[in-house]
Amino acid sequence: METGSPKVILEMKGISKTFPGVQALDNVDLTVFEGEIHGLVGKNGAGKSTLMAILMGLHSMDSGELRIDGRLITNVTPRGALEAGIAYVPQQVRMMDSLTVAENILAGNLPVNRLGLVDWNTAFQDAEQRLRQLGLDLDVRQKVEGLGVVEQTMLAIAKALFSKARIIILDEPTAALARAEIERLFGFIRSLKKMGVAFIYISHHLEEVFEICDLVTVLRNGQRIGTYDVSSLDIPSLIRLMVGEELREYERQTSRQDDVVLEVRGLTRRGHYEDVTFRVHKGEVVGLSGLAGSGAAALGRALFGLERRGIGEIWVNGKPFTARDPREALDQGLAYLPQDRYRFGLVGIRPVRENITYTILHQLVNTLRFVSFVKERSLVQKYIEALGIVCASPEQRVNLLSGGNQQKVVFAKLAATRPAVLILHEPTQGIDVRAKLDIYHIVDELASQGIGILIISSEVRELLGVCDRILVMHKGRISAEFKADDPQTTPENILLAIEGGNAHDQKQVASVYP
Amino acid sequence: MTRSKWLQFILDQMIWFILILVVIFFTLRTGGKFLSGVTLINVLLHASVLGVLTIGQTICLLSGNFDLSAEGIVSLLTVLAAWLMLPYREMTLAQAGGIGWELSPFIVIPLMLILGTLIGWINGLLITRLRMNNFIVTLAMQLFLRGIAYVISLGAIMPGTPKEFNWLGGGRIGAIPVSVVVTLLLFLVFEFFVRYTRFGRELYAVGANRDAARASGFKPERTITQAYVIGGFMAGLASWMLLGRLEVSTPTLGQGMTLETVASAVIGGVALSGGAGSIVGAFSGVLLLSIVDTGLNIMEVDPFWITGVRGLIILVALLLEVQKARFRLSPVPGRAKSPLAQS
Repeated sequence: METGSPKVILEMKGISKTFPGVQALDNVDLTVFEGEIHGLVGKNGAGKSTLMAILMGLHSMDSGELRIDGRLITNVTPRGALEAGIAYVPQQVRMMDSLTVAENILAGNLPVNRLGLVDWNTAFQDAEQRLRQLGLDLDVRQKVEGLGVVEQTMLAIAKALFSKARIIILDEPTAALARAEIERLFGFIRSLKKMGVAFIYISHHLEEVFEICDLVTVLRNGQRIGTYDVSSLDIPSLIRLMVGEELREYERQTSRQDDVVLEVRGLTRRGHYEDVTFRVHKGEVVGLSGLAGSGAAALGRALFGLERRGIGEIWVNGKPFTARDPREALDQGLAYLPQDRYRFGLVGIRPVRENITYTILHQLVNTLRFVSFVKERSLVQKYIEALGIVCASPEQRVNLLSGGNQQKVVFAKLAATRPAVLILHEPTQGIDVRAKLDIYHIVDELASQGIGILIISSEVRELLGVCDRILVMHKGRISAEFKADDPQTTPENILLAIEGGNAHDQKQVASVYP
Repeated sequence: MTRSKWLQFILDQMIWFILILVVIFFTLRTGGKFLSGVTLINVLLHASVLGVLTIGQTICLLSGNFDLSAEGIVSLLTVLAAWLMLPYREMTLAQAGGIGWELSPFIVIPLMLILGTLIGWINGLLITRLRMNNFIVTLAMQLFLRGIAYVISLGAIMPGTPKEFNWLGGGRIGAIPVSVVVTLLLFLVFEFFVRYTRFGRELYAVGANRDAARASGFKPERTITQAYVIGGFMAGLASWMLLGRLEVSTPTLGQGMTLETVASAVIGGVALSGGAGSIVGAFSGVLLLSIVDTGLNIMEVDPFWITGVRGLIILVALLLEVQKARFRLSPVPGRAKSPLAQS
């Protein structure tokens, strides 16, 4: 820091928060100075989101103190947080797209003339001048929807500053940006930093944390591991701090057999993934991990026929896989559990019974196409018992169940199709710890029945616990493979590979970031 | 049953309680005149054409789509049928005859049903294949079809449809009108149809959550097209019924019925957002509207008032529906999601 004694602007002390079944935050401190860019890192579920939600007044804290400019703030509300100068800029900025930049900046305060009509000349001049003060050169007459992603992000930051924000939370701001745009954004952030604006920078892209941040706070399992000067760290050591010495939370016996149930050869869709080749064996559990945009998620959706697949060969159960939509994919033996279960997994307002049998109705109908009640009831009962779905009755609406039970319903409807291959996309997201273990048992059970399972997940620890093998995708290509029994298969090495380093040679990576 | 379950039951069956209250009200106000066999038949007769159209509308609504074209289909098909069946006659005093082919009702009736179905299918294709907005497509279709009806009829009325044709709309089995029997049967059949068949399941799933339905292996485009095909067929049937009862065609037949079908469905608990409600529920909505119409008629209320009263009834029904949804939605645990959930 250049100046002698920078002023503390935000002080969070001893913050704790418990959700049912989870200690989300345990006595966490966070101090941010004026003109500082403070990185906040940790794996999924480490507590970053909860900490920021408390700062923004979205969650209440169980205990702890929050001070802004030395002033103690109790009972933070979203409005109170805004007034105290906290602003949140998400990955995907939301603005009034069809209005001009000026209207977005002056929203609610457009200058009017004597007739009560908007005085556009003054409005545009005013908006332009305000932006220029921040060193931002945008056409204020342009509609926001015509701006690039990086410009929208910068505009959102500027807008936050106009409403007197002093601490700006940036949540994965670069996820959708190309390198040149990232440079532009970072230039803008640095110029604001000189004006005394403080940033909290959340990112999984550790490389960028090193590039832009002054200090970095590491969270792990709801605890603060420490706050470090980035110049005192390198990527491997930061990853070690994020991962810690953890025991595998779940031990399993492999049920891998020799037959191949899924083979993908040279699958390529420009801009998403390139030359993807891998195999999944009968009864094998394979993990697939990568940063947002690495192609792992797109690959899962494409295999199930929800998106275009591009060119390349796919074989399921020894037969060419040609499915163009989910129906055909299910018929050819490939099932997929979507990441967003509210949108793609479940029909929330319909009962558990119907949700479980959606995928196999054609097997339950008689010649008149009436659904056989007897067959349906017994099948639903079987799955409710087998998966331990807790519901008042099979007729209960599925959106009244807990997250874990909802996910089990999705498993049930997929398992009912008796697939050869089951792709799971973030299967334990938003689910409490106990239900997670249930889900791991279900995965294990399905694998032991001979289903080949591909888990797409960003939770490395989870993959280590349940997988026989873990594949890592980076920039659209499969860049590394880890076998469960290999001593090189450590959370550090996997995270390194996810970040784009060479996992089998840590020193080489370390030398890139001295 | 626990207290909340009772409350749930009452909320779910609210419309039937309201129906009973309305009947009691009219009975008291008319000195018991309302509670007679004749009135009952009148109510059901009133409910028949509206009922058939409401079944089609409800099926489209369940899929998450409006069908505003049905009254246009009625307008076109009634005019077309009269034009094809009636003998040629010079136009006098806005009365006209047919084109002079004098086609047999046994050709015209199937033709009406086929044309109705075909128009429904076109609606479905425009909406699912070309991804056009369902509201606009069917509204435009309504105007287009009525336009053709005007062109064919030159705005004139064509009276005197053949006796064999009038059987469905005007015939009686003993004292009971054929149309009433047919309508009641249709409600029953379609209730079972949407409740117990594979198509019914798809319909609810697609209407409630199209993305999840697709990811469960359904084909939402096909299901929605099928819903419109049924809607078109029902409009064809309603045309036959209506023309048979009136024995006269005018291009304004069916005008305003779209709104009544939507209102009936909504009063009966069918969600405009799709995926919730039932055919029997929609029937209760049809009943309410026709009981009120009939009751006000018997009370000899100024007909100009009736439209306004209907509007009020629809508003109250919607109000109840919203309250019901609010009551249901409040105690859902564990759904809070922060905007940071992805980070």
